[in-house]
Amino acid sequence: MNDVDTGERRRSGETRPVITELIDEATVQSIAEDAWTALVGEDEILLPIPGELTGDIVSSWVDVVGPWTGTVVLTTGRETAAGLTRALLGDHAPDELEDEDIADAFGEIANVVGGNVKAALPGPSALSLPDVGDAPAVRNPADVCRLDVLWRGEPLSISVQGALPALPGAPQN
Amino acid sequence: MKILVADDSRVMRQIVIRTLRQAGYDDHDIVEAEDGADALAKVTSEKPDLVLSDWNMPNMTGIECLQAMRASGSAVPFGFVTSEGSPEMREKAANAGALFLIAKPFTADTFNEHLDGVIA
Amino acid sequence: MRALVIDDSRAMRRIVSGILEGLGYETQQAGHGREGLDVLDGGWLPELVCVDWNMPVMDGLQFVSAVRANPAYRQLTIMMVTSESEHTQIVRALAAGAHEYMIKPFTADAFRDKLALLGLLPQEVAL
Repeated sequence: MNDVDTGERRRSGETRPVITELIDEATVQSIAEDAWTALVGEDEILLPIPGELTGDIVSSWVDVVGPWTGTVVLTTGRETAAGLTRALLGDHAPDELEDEDIADAFGEIANVVGGNVKAALPGPSALSLPDVGDAPAVRNPADVCRLDVLWRGEPLSISVQGALPALPGAPQN
Repeated sequence: MKILVADDSRVMRQIVIRTLRQAGYDDHDIVEAEDGADALAKVTSEKPDLVLSDWNMPNMTGIECLQAMRASGSAVPFGFVTSEGSPEMREKAANAGALFLIAKPFTADTFNEHLDGVIA
Repeated sequence: MRALVIDDSRAMRRIVSGILEGLGYETQQAGHGREGLDVLDGGWLPELVCVDWNMPVMDGLQFVSAVRANPAYRQLTIMMVTSESEHTQIVRALAAGAHEYMIKPFTADAFRDKLALLGLLPQEVAL
């Protein structure tokens, strides 16, 4: 018996990757661009320029549970979320959008982006139904891949963030 | 022909229906279902010729709906339109008897690719 | 080291306790979240709590929230033990303050590996 922790006790069979080891911002950007082109409109682009999210903001997200467990969160201004909803609904957009319409459309964008992020990660994983509201808190700052973009000049962020706290002794970033 | 579109998101049902139109399938009757259980009931009551279904839905998922359909002897052509595009999901879908899996996001071309053989 | 095992299934409590005792833990069991809190409030403070999700009286999520609301229990490491059908609720449990999760069914080795990651293997079996 040996009382010294040589690191051997950490068996290779069980590791816990953080998201930055699994996906990069360029991949998230490309996933988001594809989703925007198909859902929002063919000419819709996302500029990789950070903007400041202030005022009345709203988030939509889906959870991924698997070898990596966390949440894919889209956050933007409520007005921008309404704009996205109108673009998605196209000719079917009502004159007055209800909260339910925005939750449905903005949630569906998170679902499509999240589903493709999930497919880019090691599996098998499960995907939750989308949710809309105040963004879930970041649990481990080292386990976040965040992309800030502008859509039609308005800021929007996509955060792929882990649900587990940092392991004891791990760098806290 | 009659196409049943099952998705818990009303917005996504509209986008699927819009894409069907863009892909040239504009002379078909469309029936909508808002979850798997609703879809399963409408497969019986509406007798569609094709089911296009989301995967993740409350009450009953798309795959549960497909499995229940096949278990009850229904052989209606069934395809997924879902954000679940990973290889293991495609395998699960094929094993359950789905004809194809269209991953979101999709275009009218994607629809043509998968649907031309089914509803020419 | 000490572990509290909370599950409304006696069979599951025995399985989890058995694994933990095999690793050198001293365990106590509770049948739901409220009973679990009673054990903690009674002054028996373990290093690890393994808690089921679906339970009568007080479920796993309520238990985690209650523990996280009490600064006296800050040192506890909470492991959610859930079944595959509860997959998408795992992230909610983690957001409420759980540290890790295990999906039923699991092997003793998988459990041991998770504890090793958390630095919660008693010394004598760590090597």
